Amino acid sequence: MKQALVDDTEDVSLDFGNEEELAFRKAKIRHPVATFFHLFFRVSAIITYVGCDWFSKSFVGCFVIVLLLLSFDFWSVKNVTGRLMVGLRWWNQIDEDGKSHWIFEARKVSPDTVAATEAEARVFWLGLIVCPMIWIVFFFSSLFSLKLKWLALVIAGISLQAANLYGYVLCKVGGESDISKVTASFLSRTVFQTACPSDFQKPGLEGLEIHKH
Amino acid sequence: MAEAVESPGDPETTTSRPLMRDLKAVGKKFMHVLYPRKSNTLLRDWDLWGPLILCVTLALMLQRGSVDSEKDGGPQFAEVFVIVWFGAVTITLNSKLLGGNISFFQSLCVLGYCILPLTMAMLVCRLVLLAEPGPINFMVRLFVVIIMFAWSIVASTAFLADSQPPNRKALAVYPVFLFYFVISWMILTFTPQ
Repeated sequence: MKQALVDDTEDVSLDFGNEEELAFRKAKIRHPVATFFHLFFRVSAIITYVGCDWFSKSFVGCFVIVLLLLSFDFWSVKNVTGRLMVGLRWWNQIDEDGKSHWIFEARKVSPDTVAATEAEARVFWLGLIVCPMIWIVFFFSSLFSLKLKWLALVIAGISLQAANLYGYVLCKVGGESDISKVTASFLSRTVFQTACPSDFQKPGLEGLEIHKH
Repeated sequence: MAEAVESPGDPETTTSRPLMRDLKAVGKKFMHVLYPRKSNTLLRDWDLWGPLILCVTLALMLQRGSVDSEKDGGPQFAEVFVIVWFGAVTITLNSKLLGGNISFFQSLCVLGYCILPLTMAMLVCRLVLLAEPGPINFMVRLFVVIIMFAWSIVASTAFLADSQPPNRKALAVYPVFLFYFVISWMILTFTPQ
């Protein structure tokens, strides 16, 4: 019976009768628009900042445009592209007592939902990490070249981008349930790589729990 | 703030719903500032978009149009930004050091949104300055700025004063007074060249 064959194989053979959904699951980049916008605002902000002196002489115009692009980028990365591309989200909630809680969530991969593709995840994290570093370079360049009026803008850029980076890193790490387990598994992979398999099984490191995933 | 299950590629649910939610939240807070009442719900959903918009608007309006492109209002623009944000951060730190139980971003949110009356004062001043200069011109602007300054103070203390213990309220409120005073001073002494 077809049913028996279907149970042994991956989702590609499951017949939902939905061509679109199959194509969606097979695609390398499932959210092309989100991927585009994830990079578009950040890169445009950087290009506008760098190309300011050539485009127009107006400090104010340039400042406002870069700030707008940075704000759009912050909003879209926090609310849209993180959710779509890597299934992470973070926000702040204040309960009745007035205490503030920061909540970081990672979407669990289940048969109903689709996991992130590797291409999208790579684009997401690259965009998230490289751009704040570029803004830090701008910070030092404007500081040392004494163009101090740009400093306010650069600091705003660094804060907005670093906030998203920090939030998503905490989501990612939080999804691994405990930072000590993440460190332990990282250490065990790198340090004990050359040890023989039987050593790898022993609980050698004291104070750390080594989990076999 | 739980999000409903989103369909994979549908832009409607993934972008426009959060966008409308955030825009509505910003609008609601502007309304709360215009008609201040003691309400806990405003503080619960803080956001910094309103303060950003107000800061940019205020900084743009405080520009002097000048012929020389070298000094094209650059320093004044960045100055307004620095004064507003650095001032708000300082007040927040002060209130936290005094033992207030309001969170950092909530306080920034309230202070930023309560710049709205002063931004409206700036708008009115710019319009009044289109008329001929003179003492009457100045008196009108002074009157408007004083009213809006008082409105800002009332709106922000309605939200901030509750978070402080009773014997520290004055200590927490006077930096707010100074903050809005500096902004009002910038607005009042503005003259387009």
